[in-house]
Amino acid sequence: MPRSERPGRKRKFGHERRRVALLLLAPSVIHLVWWIGLPVLATFALAFTDYDILAGTVTFNGLDNFQEIFGDPTWNSSIWHTVVFTFFTVPVAMAIAVVLALLLNVKMRGSAWYRTAVFMPHVTATVAIALVWMWMFEPRLGVVNTMLGWVGIDGPVWLADPDWALTAVIVVSIWKGIGIKMLIYLAALQAMPNDVYEAARIDGASQVRQFFSITLPLLKPATFFVLVVSIIDSFQAFDQLYVLTPDGGPGNSTTVMTYEIYRTAFKEFNMGAACAQSVVLFAFLLVLMLISRRLTGKEDDVR
Amino acid sequence: MRPRTSPLSRRRLLGLGAATAAGAALSACGGPAPQKEGGGDASLRLLTPIFDRADGQKLLTSLLTDFKKDHPGVSVQVDYTEYGKLNEKLATSIVGGQPYDVMLMGVGWIPPFVEKGVLADLGTSQSELERLYNPRVVQPGIYEGKTYARPILLDTRMGIYRKDILAEAGIDAPPKDLTELKEMGKELTVRKGGKLTRAGVDILSNDLRQTYLPVMWAHGADLFADGKPVFDSDEAVDALQWMVDIIRTEKIEDYGFTQKGAVVAPLVQGRAAMMVGHNDMWRQVSESAPELIAEDKIAGFMLNQQRPALFQGGTLATLSAKTRYPEQAKALVEFLSGEKVSPQAAEQRGNIPAVLSAADSEYVRSNKLVSFAVNNLDHAFSEGGVPTWLEIREEFKPALESALLGKSSPADALRGLAEKAEAIIAKGA
Repeated sequence: MPRSERPGRKRKFGHERRRVALLLLAPSVIHLVWWIGLPVLATFALAFTDYDILAGTVTFNGLDNFQEIFGDPTWNSSIWHTVVFTFFTVPVAMAIAVVLALLLNVKMRGSAWYRTAVFMPHVTATVAIALVWMWMFEPRLGVVNTMLGWVGIDGPVWLADPDWALTAVIVVSIWKGIGIKMLIYLAALQAMPNDVYEAARIDGASQVRQFFSITLPLLKPATFFVLVVSIIDSFQAFDQLYVLTPDGGPGNSTTVMTYEIYRTAFKEFNMGAACAQSVVLFAFLLVLMLISRRLTGKEDDVR
Repeated sequence: MRPRTSPLSRRRLLGLGAATAAGAALSACGGPAPQKEGGGDASLRLLTPIFDRADGQKLLTSLLTDFKKDHPGVSVQVDYTEYGKLNEKLATSIVGGQPYDVMLMGVGWIPPFVEKGVLADLGTSQSELERLYNPRVVQPGIYEGKTYARPILLDTRMGIYRKDILAEAGIDAPPKDLTELKEMGKELTVRKGGKLTRAGVDILSNDLRQTYLPVMWAHGADLFADGKPVFDSDEAVDALQWMVDIIRTEKIEDYGFTQKGAVVAPLVQGRAAMMVGHNDMWRQVSESAPELIAEDKIAGFMLNQQRPALFQGGTLATLSAKTRYPEQAKALVEFLSGEKVSPQAAEQRGNIPAVLSAADSEYVRSNKLVSFAVNNLDHAFSEGGVPTWLEIREEFKPALESALLGKSSPADALRGLAEKAEAIIAKGA
């Protein structure tokens, strides 16, 4: 082949490859733009309008929707509930997941069964889980209060008591969220290099020291991933709250941002305010992601 | 023989992609071909929140078979839902460009949906309807002099009591007013070791707003006057104070003792002596504790203070303003609210038939809560009254709960609620 022809053929080949790549990517890009990009843009635009969904009219109203939602104590308390819900579900579930992953990383008989058992809540329908827990929390005959009764504690009316409803939902959410976190940590643990541990053992490092000086730092990328995904999940939690404590729970004690968005949009038909609430939720998640990235993401390439 | 194949060229791939996209677009945008208005054949979409249970679906299927006999070219596609999900079904259908042809909805829903241009005028006069239905149930379907809905069934909230529990305490008649109800409630409340085992009066099993409103009406207050909220009047504050007394002052019931939607109400279990409840409690009792009915232990009483009051809701059949088949859809509205469907629809829900002809039916006579309601419809009040009611009503629960939980006084809670309502009305104007 003449040397002078090569670059031209290369360019042609590269050009063709790019076009095929674009063609193959097109369905995904169209899907993302149509189902995610446009709705997100529409949400941002509608947040500054009075959108009457039934009459089909849209009127620009500036920042009125934001003024309206932040003047609503229910929305403000839903932000607080979401933060409390996230604060307890994410770190607690992550801590339990790490411990379980360490335990299930040990070679033992029936480990696959144990892993499956821990992972099972993640793949079970949330509504089914919520219904089972509703029975467990039943004040007179439920398992939880029955067990508390054995030790002389008179259990509360978990899901109907404003002081306990959010706690009950947090317990269910922690239990449900452990499986997937454990799986990610387990995968990370199994990918860890033995040579580092061997070196540590030769240097006389104890198991505890190995855990804190090797395992935990090496788990940082996994921790960042789990943290980000969990925070997003937690801020988007809806179904378990909706089933366990309908209508925002007793005294609106379990209402969260996602439920308020739903309520504003579909119970009050106030789409503009619902879009403004969605923008606030988006802003919260964006800020939290940036903070998470700053806290845990810098040493992604710790090895 | 080996089949002939040809390599997949770029042009061919592009052509295939374009053809697929075009096909998908055409199939998505096409839909059924429009039919002539007023023509005999039609495919109607019906949205109903009252036939959602298995027995209800079976009943409606059978009733629609009868409808099809009279309208052979009309098919009806039913979308079953419950009242809690009705809003979103309606909203998404309208936004999605596929509104239902016939929609069943509640009392209080008509003005908001008429204002948005969702409902069509049925063209029936009020006097004509009042020959078929109790005038009390015709009114909610009338807006600005036009009829937009025909009633199918009614539901009420009233006082309900356990005769046996009252008799054990030496009480032989239900309370004559709300003051006496509170006093009796104190007497009938039972606590063991501080823990409530029987509430004298249960005001929490029913939807909180629908408990408050009849108490408010009984105190002489109203929801709106000249389109403005007046549910923060002194009488309304007294009504909420009465509920606060039940929970906080007299501790006749603990917040959290039960909740709306509990599988079995405390009254049925003997964990409450009296309650403010829905007339379908009779159906719940007949399913969970039929012996209470057999032994005549359940009865209703009027909530009374300044005046007697029943809360009256109901389900009405409406015609979409955007239906492509107005004649057939109107025929379906008339069928669903007619003398054949109304009594059966009411019975499967444990509710009150809207048609006058069923007022003395065997079902009404055998269901004491339903017959009590039928005999007292003159004292019934309905919620709604302003086009923004669906938004305003969502604000009641947090306001009422805030008073019941002691976070604000009844006066402050209702004032805040009225201010929110004023803002919603101003925004909607």
